[in-house]
Amino acid sequence: MSHSSYCDRVNRRRALQIGGSGLLSGLSLPALLQMQAQAATEKSPPATACIMLFLEGGPSTIDMWDLKPDAPAEIRGPYYPIATSVPGTFVGEHQPLCARVADKFTILRSHSHNDNGHSTGYHYAFTGYRADFPDGNMRIPTNVLYPSMGSIVSRELGTKSAVPPYVNIPNGMGAGGPGFYGAEFAPFVIESDPVQPDFEVKDLRVKSGRPSQRLKSRQQMLQKFEGLGASAAKRSRPEMMSTYYEKAYDLITSPQARRAFDLGSEPEKVRQEYGYTSLGQCALLGRRLVEAGCRFIGIDHGSWDTHFDCFPSQEKDLFPHADRAFAALVTDLEQRGLLDTTLVVMMGEMGRTPRINGRAGRDHWSMAQSVLLAGGGIKPGQVVGATDKHAAAPVTEPVGIEDLHRTIFRQLGIDSTKIYYTPLGRPVPLVNGGRVVEELLV
Amino acid sequence: MQRRLVCFYLISIASLSLYAAPLSAEIRVSPAHVVLDRPEASQQLLVTELADQTTRDRTRDVAFAVRNPEIVSVNERGVVFPLREGRTVIDVQHGTNTQSISVDVHGLAAPPAVSFEHEVIPILTKSRCNSGGCHGKAEGKAGFKLSVFGFDPRADYEAITAEGRTRRLFQPAPAGSLLLRKASAEMPHGGGRKIPKGSLGYRRLLRWVAEGAPFEGQSAQVASIELEPREAVLTAGQQHQIRVTAIDSAGNRRCVTAEAEYESNAPLIAEPDRLGLIQAGQIPGEAAILVRYMGQVAVCRITSPQPGVEFTRPPAENFIDELVWDKLERLGIQPSDLCDDATFLRRVYLDTIGMLPTVDEARQFLEDSAPDKRAKLIDRLLARPEYADYWAMKWSDLLRVDRDKIKPQGAVAVTRWLRSQILQNRPYDELVRDIITAQGDTYAEGPASFYTVLDDPEKLSRSISQLFLGVRIECAQCHHHPFEKWGQDDYFALAGFFTGVKKKSLPGGNQAVFSRGGADLKHPRTGKPVPARPLGGTATDFSKIVDRRRLLADWMSHPENPFFARAIANRLWAHYFGRGLVEPVDDLRATNPATNEPLLSKLEGHLRDGRYDLKAFTRTLLNSRVYQLSFQTNAGNQHDAQNFSHARPKALPAEVLLDAICQATAVPEKFPGLPSGVRAVQVWDNRQTSYFFTIFGRPVRASVCECERSNEPSIAQALHLMNSPEILSKIQSRTGRAGILAGADAEPRKVIEELTLATLSRYPTGQEYELLLQRFEQNDRRAAAEDVLWILLNSKEFIYNR
Repeated sequence: MSHSSYCDRVNRRRALQIGGSGLLSGLSLPALLQMQAQAATEKSPPATACIMLFLEGGPSTIDMWDLKPDAPAEIRGPYYPIATSVPGTFVGEHQPLCARVADKFTILRSHSHNDNGHSTGYHYAFTGYRADFPDGNMRIPTNVLYPSMGSIVSRELGTKSAVPPYVNIPNGMGAGGPGFYGAEFAPFVIESDPVQPDFEVKDLRVKSGRPSQRLKSRQQMLQKFEGLGASAAKRSRPEMMSTYYEKAYDLITSPQARRAFDLGSEPEKVRQEYGYTSLGQCALLGRRLVEAGCRFIGIDHGSWDTHFDCFPSQEKDLFPHADRAFAALVTDLEQRGLLDTTLVVMMGEMGRTPRINGRAGRDHWSMAQSVLLAGGGIKPGQVVGATDKHAAAPVTEPVGIEDLHRTIFRQLGIDSTKIYYTPLGRPVPLVNGGRVVEELLV
Repeated sequence: MQRRLVCFYLISIASLSLYAAPLSAEIRVSPAHVVLDRPEASQQLLVTELADQTTRDRTRDVAFAVRNPEIVSVNERGVVFPLREGRTVIDVQHGTNTQSISVDVHGLAAPPAVSFEHEVIPILTKSRCNSGGCHGKAEGKAGFKLSVFGFDPRADYEAITAEGRTRRLFQPAPAGSLLLRKASAEMPHGGGRKIPKGSLGYRRLLRWVAEGAPFEGQSAQVASIELEPREAVLTAGQQHQIRVTAIDSAGNRRCVTAEAEYESNAPLIAEPDRLGLIQAGQIPGEAAILVRYMGQVAVCRITSPQPGVEFTRPPAENFIDELVWDKLERLGIQPSDLCDDATFLRRVYLDTIGMLPTVDEARQFLEDSAPDKRAKLIDRLLARPEYADYWAMKWSDLLRVDRDKIKPQGAVAVTRWLRSQILQNRPYDELVRDIITAQGDTYAEGPASFYTVLDDPEKLSRSISQLFLGVRIECAQCHHHPFEKWGQDDYFALAGFFTGVKKKSLPGGNQAVFSRGGADLKHPRTGKPVPARPLGGTATDFSKIVDRRRLLADWMSHPENPFFARAIANRLWAHYFGRGLVEPVDDLRATNPATNEPLLSKLEGHLRDGRYDLKAFTRTLLNSRVYQLSFQTNAGNQHDAQNFSHARPKALPAEVLLDAICQATAVPEKFPGLPSGVRAVQVWDNRQTSYFFTIFGRPVRASVCECERSNEPSIAQALHLMNSPEILSKIQSRTGRAGILAGADAEPRKVIEELTLATLSRYPTGQEYELLLQRFEQNDRRAAAEDVLWILLNSKEFIYNR
């Protein structure tokens, strides 16, 4: 009995049996069919790639994009709102560059979910599924079962070129792994920070010229050699390693891929525009990768977990870096005519508490966070949703993680109702529930 | 009244006689008598068929007929609900056979008052109101804070009845209480609908508010829970209902099936729903269903065998084989064959000494025809000094030998001490005693610096319990362990052993560690001192004791300690077999049972009987046939991941892989600041910067968790092995193995043979010769030899230990 027929036969039945519980909760068959029908009528997708700037630790969006100047001092904090290029839209005083280009992006103020942990919240935000482990420090990637958004995009849209379809910069993202999709859909992790002067994608050897004919012939013979021996069980580590070998080889042998990673060939002026910061140079590399055919670039930017004495570090580092990187990326993409087809998202796993704590910091607050979205068919220059007078919770319909995922996938032309089965036969739809947030779209 | 009683007796007799009737012998209905004593009570009935020594749940296949349907109702899952006070009988019909159950409903009009502690908290727990992600978080949620998993009922009572301007409860109209309106999502609730209107939980909460929301109520503390069944054998797709009965301190029994929580450790094998109905999946194997109610935990073990397998029992070398075959026979999984000599050779070298056999060693072993050559090789390897190097590295990881914390001198001192202990095969209990009672100079050869790395009593108690007892007590720092009996008392009691530890700084940056006296730690909630005592042990009088830690060490190695031998037996098993009998290896608890419990307990005993001789224990593991099975699977065992029916390919630890590359290429690595010839396994410096170490997951020793070492493959690893200047320069070195072989006048065939023995520890096959010889036809000897070495080194067979 072949493995796949085994899965299909059993699982369709089992999926219906367990329809009321577990993974497919709330997704009855009629609803599923209806959603599939809806998905089928959608027009050709506006976006072909997505850059996700992930502010790990949880950005204090009450100080950035959703200020509450009328709230008491222990809530509104020390910052003043400033006007933007969109009349009536205000952002925090430490976001002057984004304020100038506010007509190019949209602020979603009503994002809300209820997982307040770092590793579990990250898992939820980036896989669309609740973590199946308790919060705490985990090995990265944390998502052993559920695939990350990037892996889903990688699977659905595939490769356009030799550049891997899904890349993590500068490190692996917390929940950026492929889950049960397997090694084939894992991110290519750069493991090197583009802001460093000696940045080079290790072992790609961009600078030392073309790969040799010798490597090519060695690789061919290795494949033949592997074909001779016995292999281990299908999903064992050795078999996963084979997939990585194939990917690594494709990467080494493509001049296009090697060029994309060569940040040094970018004009100095552009590099400064993005800012000589980790986030800035990662964003710039993200743009180069989009040009080279990459589908999903996940940028992991840490240090946003500001529990103690948060304001100095926010003003000096976090806010200016994010402000510059996001504004430059959106402007640059637009000038190159890429913004219409590139969806840019900036968010973290949570927002931060409205009330400033006793140690002059703000704590975890997943109930309200503002998310920035631009390009890829997002209607620009808007503010979508609103929070209450303390930015504690949305007063408009909350936009959850599943809603965000569904919206992002829709813009990329991916049918979120599609179901894959885990190797042992469990059905997992790309997104479990949620709705497309129409207000965000053109 | 009297008539009723008579009637009741008659029914009882009737049901008893029916129960005993031969016709119904194979069908068992329980309980024989149902008492429902409050409006929200329910009783799960179980109908079990006994045939051929197997039992089968028939609860959902029979018809339930209530003689007076105004008294109770029975749903299709066999749950009885009260409707009106009185007595009646339920007839259970299965085919032509009928059995009867008497039912007594009372307490509907004047029910016993709801107890907050014993009846309200379980509802909040089951609905996850007090989970760590919701109101149970340290800071609560939306201004409403509950203790996580309800470990502090008093505080929760306060939070609900007194805080929030007391608007959470509304006595004049209980259904208008914020608590109920939020929980049932009548009002917007961030957590959604948690306790639907009309549900059991809702009705009980409502009654509790109506009764004036007392704390005490009229029910007693749950003393234990009972599961029926405690184990079951299910075939794929079958279902089985569990019944959970709570027994209070007064001995009263109450069905809490609808209120308990259920969780499976292997949902693909068997998965319970919210009401305790277990569904077996399509994957054969064993699952443990964890059942929780009011701090009590119990486990139901489900076995789901592979049907239609004719099991051929392989021979057994020792008790390990017997017990593994027993299990596999029960599950219907045929193990793989014995692996060939070459596979065994490579596997046992890498596992015991972290090195490859040399070309000569490999040849010698492969050509040896002695029938006991495997056993002899095991003895030789365990006696080698490299065994001590490898295990000193492993223990340095776990003991967090960190240069940044204990200075290079300290790191060298501990590493040397560990190596010498392992070299002389110091009994494990003595080794651990030395660590726990360590004292003196942190730069002297010894374990004293353990107390510099872990510098407060709580860190010490957390680390020591995880490391040596396999108990993750850290949950209990803030709240009752969710899956265990450990509470905050146990946590602070254990930490109390380390309160006498003091350190004196010495001029060279080292410290002198000693322990004298010590005070009991205070419970963070009550503020009262918690007398120091070991986990599950009793307090001692410390007034005459100088070093409290000695008593802890005595307790640890005491033959009756339930954790100590088990933890190390499981840890060693995991090292050699690629997976612990319990996973994660350092999370041993009743609710996380071993996949082969008889085996683990026999291994524990074996270790204790052998006076903690780790080499002798390892010898037993390695001589088993189970260790020597092939990694190649058959149709029946390819999905088996936990029963050791085939060998499991293991990723090589970063250091071992680097050493293997150096050995295969015959080009050693030079580590900055260390003498040449030092192997990666011997690098004591955990902060040594090495890209190789980073991408292959060498731990930085930030925790005592074995999980810190990551073995997951990545593109970066593949890129590095195939294209990095570091590895290529070793393969292509003039003085390396390929260069030297090419320079000599050996036949190409001989070159290929040598290279294959050096990398894969075996002779090439005919097809491999044919393939690799092509390189020599097309290229010069040197290039051909390098290419062959590159291919072998990048093969899965080289990168993994299978």
